[in-house]
Amino acid sequence: MTKARATAAIMMLAMLAVVPLLITPVGAQQLSDRAKQIGGKFMCMCTCSQVLTQCNHIGCTTSTGMLKELNQSLARGDSEDTITQMFVQEFGTKVYAEPPKSGFSLVAWALPSVYLFVGTGLVIFVIFRWRKRPAQQTAPAGGAPGISAEMLERARARASRETQD
Amino acid sequence: MDVFGSFALVLAFVCAVYAFGGGIAAIVTRHPLLIKSTRQAGMATCCLIFLATFSLEYLFFSDNFSNAYVVAHSNRDLSTFYKIAALWSGQEGSLLFWSFLLAIYVFSVLITYRNKNGELMPYVGVVMAGVQIFFLTLNNFVESPFRALAVPGANGAMDLVARADGNGLTPLLQYPEMVIHPPNLYSGYTGFTIPFAFALGALLARYPGEKWIHLTRKWTMIAWMFQSMGILLGAHWAYAVLGWGGYWGWDPVENASLLPWLTGTAFLHSVMMQEKRGMMKVWNVWLVFCTFLLCILGTFLTRSGVVSSVHAFANSSIGNWFVGFMGIILLVCFGAYFKNRDYLKSENQLDSIVSRESSFLFNNLILLVSCVAVLSGTLFPVFSEWFTGNRISVGAPFFNKVNIPIGLLLLFLTGVGPLLAWRKTSTESLKRNFGWPLGIGLAAGVIALVFGFREFYSWICLLLCVFVASTVLMEFYRGARVIRARSGASFMASAVDLTMRNTRRYGGYIVHMGMVFVFIGLAGAAFNRDLQKDMRQGDTMQIGPYTLVLQGFETKPEKNYTAQRMLVEVLRDKKPMMMLYPEKRRFTTTVENGTMVAIYSTLKEDLYVVYAGTSPDTQLPVLHAYLNPLVKWIWFGGVVVVFGTLVALLPNRRAVLVLSGAQQPAAQPIAHGLTPSVTLREGHD
Repeated sequence: MTKARATAAIMMLAMLAVVPLLITPVGAQQLSDRAKQIGGKFMCMCTCSQVLTQCNHIGCTTSTGMLKELNQSLARGDSEDTITQMFVQEFGTKVYAEPPKSGFSLVAWALPSVYLFVGTGLVIFVIFRWRKRPAQQTAPAGGAPGISAEMLERARARASRETQD
Repeated sequence: MDVFGSFALVLAFVCAVYAFGGGIAAIVTRHPLLIKSTRQAGMATCCLIFLATFSLEYLFFSDNFSNAYVVAHSNRDLSTFYKIAALWSGQEGSLLFWSFLLAIYVFSVLITYRNKNGELMPYVGVVMAGVQIFFLTLNNFVESPFRALAVPGANGAMDLVARADGNGLTPLLQYPEMVIHPPNLYSGYTGFTIPFAFALGALLARYPGEKWIHLTRKWTMIAWMFQSMGILLGAHWAYAVLGWGGYWGWDPVENASLLPWLTGTAFLHSVMMQEKRGMMKVWNVWLVFCTFLLCILGTFLTRSGVVSSVHAFANSSIGNWFVGFMGIILLVCFGAYFKNRDYLKSENQLDSIVSRESSFLFNNLILLVSCVAVLSGTLFPVFSEWFTGNRISVGAPFFNKVNIPIGLLLLFLTGVGPLLAWRKTSTESLKRNFGWPLGIGLAAGVIALVFGFREFYSWICLLLCVFVASTVLMEFYRGARVIRARSGASFMASAVDLTMRNTRRYGGYIVHMGMVFVFIGLAGAAFNRDLQKDMRQGDTMQIGPYTLVLQGFETKPEKNYTAQRMLVEVLRDKKPMMMLYPEKRRFTTTVENGTMVAIYSTLKEDLYVVYAGTSPDTQLPVLHAYLNPLVKWIWFGGVVVVFGTLVALLPNRRAVLVLSGAQQPAAQPIAHGLTPSVTLREGHD
C-alpha cells in the first residue's frame, strides 16, 4: 500500500466515521410514546391522507378528537386490539394506516415479496438463457418466422446511415 | 386576450392533427415536401401553444377577472411571483402548462434534428404530434382555461360578467418552492415523451437497436434530472410548508411522481447494456414505454380523484380521457412490438454471472420491484374497494416497511456495480476491488455500533453509504492517480481532467455520490424526535440540546394575508443562539389558514418549530418542535445529483483514457471495444 493510498483511506474513514457521531439520541422526554406508537397505525380521517399522529392541519378537530379518544382508551387500559376495533367500527377500514395482515389485505403484504421472488426467478432464468446462447444469435424467439441475419444487418446499416446525433 | 388564447389553442390543435395525419402520409409516400410541411406544422403547433400560454399569463398579470380561471386562482393583491405560479395551480391551467412544456421539448427536437435523421424523424414527429393532440383535446374541449366567467341570467341563459377581484391562490401554493417544484416535475413528466417517441418511432421504422438510444440519451437524462429535482423540491415544500415534520408521506401523488423516476433510472442503467453489449433491447424499449405510461398514469392519479391526496386537483371526469389515452398507447406499443420484435434481437451472450451485466440486471430488477410495489400499494385502496366493498387505506407505515429493504438492496448494488467488470470479473479483481470499500464500510459500521447506533435499518444504511462512497471515491482516485502520474498536475486537477474526459461515467459516479448523501439523510429519520406543548409567554420547552423560550406573539398584516407569529428564543447550553418565528397565516380572500415553519438547519440536525394552533382544552397556543437529524444531507444530495447529471450531459473533452472498474486479465478477445485494463478511445462508459 502506498503512503498516498493509506492517507486517503484514513482520511476517508475519518470523514465517514463522523456521520454516526452526528446522530446521537436526543433523549427528549416523550409523554405519550404508547399513544404515538398506536396512533401511528391509523390514518387521520380529516381527508389529509396523513397518519393520525402526523396530521398538522391547523385546528384539525378530527385528529384532535381521535387522539383524545385514543388517550382515553389507553387511560382505561384498553388493549391495542380493542382500540383498533373501536376506530374501525367508527370510521371503517379506511382508518388503517397499513392494511391488516388478514383476509384480502394480505394480498397487499404478499405482493412485494411475490414481485421480488418472481423477478429474481426471471433474472436468473434470463442469465442462464443468455449464458447458453451462442454469440450473434439472430434466430427469432419462440420459433416464429423472423428475419434473416442478412436482413438484420441491412437494417442495422440503414439505421446507422440514416441517423446522427 | 382570452379569445386570442382560445383561438391559438384551436389553431394549435388543427396544426397538430395535420402534423399527425400528414406525418403518416409522409411516412407512406416519403414525399420530401410532405415531410417538411409536417415538421413545420409540428413547430407551428408549439409556437401556438406558447402564444396561448403567454396570453393566459397576460390575463393573470392584467387582473382580468372576466376569465373564470383567473377569478378562481388569482386576486389583485397576489404578488407577481405567484401570478406566474397561478398558471398551473388549477386543473385547466396545469394541463395547458403540460402542453407548454411538451411544446418546448417537441420544438427543441424538431429544431435539433431538422436536417438529420430524415428517415426516422417523421415517425418521431407523428408520435409527438399524437401526444400533443391528446393534451390539446383536453385544453380545447374538456378543460379550457379560457372560459369566460358567466352566471345564470334572468331568462335562464348565461350572462357574461366580470368580477372586481378574484378568489386568490390557494395558501398552500403561496411558497417559493411551489413556483419551481411543479415546472420541474412537469418537465420530467413531459420530457419522457421524447425517448418514448424515439423508441416507438425506431421500432415502427424497424431500426435495430442502439441508434435511438444514442439519439435520446441526453433527452432522457434531462427529463430524469427534472424529475429528480421536482421530487426533491416537492419533498422540501412538504417539509417546509405542511408542518408535519416530514418530507415524504407516501401520498398517492408523491408516489405517482416516483414511479416514472424509478423506471427512468432503470432505463438509464440498462441502456448501457445495449450500447456496450447489444443486449436488453426488448427490455429497454419496454422500459421507455412503461416510463411514459407511468407519467400519464401519474397525471391521471393527480387529476381524476381516483385516489385521495392532499396534492390532487379537484375531482373531475377527466380521468376517463386518460384511461382511454393509456389504452391507445398500450395498443400501439404492443402492436409495434409484435410486428417488429425481430429487429430487437440481442447480439451477445452473457459470459459470466459475476459481471457488470448481471449487476445491471439485478439493479433493474430491484428498481422495477420497488416501482410495482409502490404502484400496487398506491392502487390497493381502489382494488380493495372493488373486491371487498371496503376501501382499505395504505399509508406511510406500509410503504416504509416494504421499500426500506428494497432501497437498501439498491444502495448495495450501487456500490457493487462499478466494481464489476464487463463480461467477467475474476476472483482476484473481486478481492482487489472489494477489499478496501468493504473494509471501510465495515469499520464505519463498527464505529457506529461503538457510539450507540442501534437502529438496525439506519445502521445498515450507514454502512452501505460508506461502502458506496468508498467505491466512488476509489474510482476517482485510481483514474486521477494515472493522470497525475502522466501530467504532473495536482490530484484535484487530475480528478477534474478525468471527469471531463469521460463525463458520462464520472458524472454518473457523482450522481451515485449524491444518492449516498440522500440515503444518509434518510437514515437520520429513524432518530426523529418531537415534542408538543401548550405555551404561555415565558414558558420553556426542552428538546435535545435546545431550550425554546416563548418570548411573545406578534401580528403582522401583509399584502395578501395576516401573519400571527410566535417569537421563540432558542438557547443552547443556556446561551442564546437565535430567534425563530413560526407563524400562522390567515389569507384574506380565501379565509384559509396556512403555516410557515421555522427551521434552524445544520448538517447534524434540523430544529423544526411549528405554531400548531390553539389547544381546545387550554385555549393556549401550541408549539410543536421536532429535532430531525441529517435532513440537510437530503437537500445537499439532491444538489449533487443534479450537478452529476449536468456533468454527464457535457460532451467529453477529448479522447478518453478508459480505466476498467475492475482490472481484467487481458486474455480474452473482447467485443464492442471493451478493454481489459487501459486504452485510449472515444466514447461512453
